[in-house]
Amino acid sequence: MTYLRLLWIHLRLGILNELQYRTNLVLQLIQSAVGLVTALLGLGIVFSKTDTLGGWLPAEMLAIVGVYTLVSGLTQLVVRPSLQRFMEDIRLGTLDFTLTKPVDAQALVSMRQIEVWKLVDVVVGLVVLGVAVTQLGASIGATEALAFVVALLAGATIIYSFLLILATCAFWWVRLDNILNIFQSMYEAGRWPIGIYPPWLRYVLTFLVPVGFAITVPTEGLVGRLTSPTLVGAIALAIALPLIARAFWKFGVRHYSGASA
Amino acid sequence: MAESPVTPPRARATREAATDTAIRVRGLRKTYDVPERESGLRASARSLLRRQTKEVVAVSGISFDVAPGEVVGFLGPNGAGKTTTLKMLSGLLYPSAGEATVLGHIPWDREKAYLRQMTLVMGQRNQLVWDIPVADSYELNRAIYRIPEIEYQQTLTELIDLLDLETLLTKPVRNLSLGERMKCELAGALLHRPSVLFLDEPTLGLDVTAQRRIRTFIAEYAARHNATVLLTSHYMADVEALAERVLVIHQGALLFDGALGALVARFSPHKTLTIDLEYPVLDLDRFGEVVAIDDCHAILRVPKTQAAAITARLLAELPIVDLSVTDPPVDEVIDTVFSSGASGADPDQLSEIETALEPISV
Repeated sequence: MTYLRLLWIHLRLGILNELQYRTNLVLQLIQSAVGLVTALLGLGIVFSKTDTLGGWLPAEMLAIVGVYTLVSGLTQLVVRPSLQRFMEDIRLGTLDFTLTKPVDAQALVSMRQIEVWKLVDVVVGLVVLGVAVTQLGASIGATEALAFVVALLAGATIIYSFLLILATCAFWWVRLDNILNIFQSMYEAGRWPIGIYPPWLRYVLTFLVPVGFAITVPTEGLVGRLTSPTLVGAIALAIALPLIARAFWKFGVRHYSGASA
Repeated sequence: MAESPVTPPRARATREAATDTAIRVRGLRKTYDVPERESGLRASARSLLRRQTKEVVAVSGISFDVAPGEVVGFLGPNGAGKTTTLKMLSGLLYPSAGEATVLGHIPWDREKAYLRQMTLVMGQRNQLVWDIPVADSYELNRAIYRIPEIEYQQTLTELIDLLDLETLLTKPVRNLSLGERMKCELAGALLHRPSVLFLDEPTLGLDVTAQRRIRTFIAEYAARHNATVLLTSHYMADVEALAERVLVIHQGALLFDGALGALVARFSPHKTLTIDLEYPVLDLDRFGEVVAIDDCHAILRVPKTQAAAITARLLAELPIVDLSVTDPPVDEVIDTVFSSGASGADPDQLSEIETALEPISV
């Protein structure tokens, strides 16, 4: 309960803060529009040459664009800005204030900064997804919808854990601000189903940088291509990775407490 | 590292009821491994491959007790170990050895029950959110500490009253002056009514008026809530105004623990004699070191042991109108302690410091 309340207050603060600078909304609208148009143009070019891409139909590819935009919006709404700020706090020494609060520090650093305008991406993602679902029509049943939701939740958990692990490294290497930007570049590979990439890259995008689990797998669930081993794998990873991230985080805090001046 | 048997910090710590001591510290020690490398490109490249580290002792086994409601000043030059000690007591750092309990809790276990009762204020770092009004930052702390609405309103009203915050709360932090910001920082750190306050340089960079304001407030808060305060400051005036008791730390070791007056008595080898004369006398320097002279008014510095004898001689030999014997200003004394402790140039002073160490080391 406390944490939901905290999340709500941070959201409120984020809104209050952003309302001071309305130009940011305009910039975000432009950015989202450009992102969407680029993605659609890309699809247009591909499907002017061929009917399927690695077995994916145009409407299914549109679903991928939707999921990509949605997940991107969600991570950039809370997780990424918060973790960016956490790394900044380490550099400035203001993390001390977080660690002396009687709440879980990991939870607090994961929700401290909310960039409200990224909600635009969330909305755009949902709309695109809606369009794709209408085009796919009758082929989506309850099973597909359920698989999609489960896989999406698992994917989000995996991405969060992965980002937390990256950010936790800042306990050792203070100047690590760019690591999340590198992740963002890798994330963009998720615009396309990872099946179209060469095997080594597919491997990287699944296990090294788990973009595949966040985008391709949920979409597969939606369009009825998801095999149960993949879904089970995604769920297993969504259970294991947060535990690993949590342990690593605690180890990092312990290190910070042992060494910082 | 010739320390008593190294015990894991938490193994021996006893959880006693926090009735007679609020803060209990025994043999607390902290060492850092700092990378050591020579200057120059080649040396830097070498250190990339194999890092040379050097052990630096920040705090070397200090012990003290603080009673509930006591306000204690923590004095020492930069790098003496004040902040490190404060960070260990607020649970941010694990000690290398030794033990401590605050309100019966081991600080570095970071139990919520403990964190809820303490606060940490650092003069050079801000916890209020820069871009939003102060009141909104307070809302955040209210949620974090789960302060009930009624209690929160009471505390806030009290703090607004004591610190004169009324007009500041609606302004974004970035629009506040340094002094205003510090007032708001302090209030924000006290919303949950902590009973232990760790204040690291709370008046840093403030002008005299603002310093006094903060000082009065801390004293007021401590008295009202029977709060225990451990305060570091560079400004002697802070410590003089707030703390009946001071801890002097230098190069990680505790040099003195006692009343401020006793510190002066113990460490100052001099007394100050202020005299008013009927008419100017020229050869005053035969009585002692002349610090200042202005016509019929003069200030002399004499060795403490001879103060009585010299006073008698002055009265007998000079046309004295008025005479007073005083201790030198505290910061002057502190200065002497630190410079002698650091250089080791004055053997007399050093032995005095060493004897001073006797009664407080455990």
